[in-house]
Amino acid sequence: MAPEDDLNCRQASRLLSLAGERALTEGEVRALRLHLDECLMCVNFESQLRFLHKAAKRYFHG
Amino acid sequence: MSDLPVTDPRLADIEAQRPYLMRYAMAQLRDSLLAEEAVQEALLAAVEGLASFQGHSTLRTWLTSILRFKIADQQRRVVQERSRMETGDADSQDDEAWLDALFDETGHWRDPPQAWANPEAALEQRRFWETFERCLERLPARGGRVFFKREVMGEDTDDICRAEGISASNCWVILHRARLGLRSCLELHWFGTGTADGA
Repeated sequence: MAPEDDLNCRQASRLLSLAGERALTEGEVRALRLHLDECLMCVNFESQLRFLHKAAKRYFHG
Repeated sequence: MSDLPVTDPRLADIEAQRPYLMRYAMAQLRDSLLAEEAVQEALLAAVEGLASFQGHSTLRTWLTSILRFKIADQQRRVVQERSRMETGDADSQDDEAWLDALFDETGHWRDPPQAWANPEAALEQRRFWETFERCLERLPARGGRVFFKREVMGEDTDDICRAEGISASNCWVILHRARLGLRSCLELHWFGTGTADGA
């Protein structure tokens, strides 16, 4: 099992979303990478965020 | 507009942009009366100021920039009104509670995001956009507004928070909730089993 200081999905998804608002710190990026290496669900969430961004732009700007 | 001389052919071009402008205003104001009002004011201002339109930008871009001012006016009025009735903090607690429900006590997804089959192809399908629109409409009013400003308009998060009268961290939570809500709505109604091809 993951050590206690590892991110869980709730924390990882929050950071993935937050990355759209501000630059993540080095520590955040490192922790996130470790989590994404092992969590396909959060990898899926990351690509979905990118898709939402693209779709939202397309919806309004054609 | 009927009082004005209909000599400039661009007047028809302006009127042709009305549906786009309505969609734009609706996304931010989420109230058809307010949106119509903002669009009407913007179109009137555009007709009056047509002489100043140099054609450096497209007509749509120019009209949109006028509309943005009108929408900002509306939002200021709405925010002032709302802040008398509720506080931003109560809303954010509600958002946190909503997020809590998405994860179990160890922080794992209760409803794990799936791999979406061929999302690029969805962008080409008219029915996908109907679903997308319905999912947008289901977001909480403020979430939808903040999401639109951030993702579509690319507005600075600090500016958005200030306009909404909330702290940056509350703003992030609202955005996060909107993205999660939109994600799960699309997964349920479009990308879920058997509907990924839009059939």
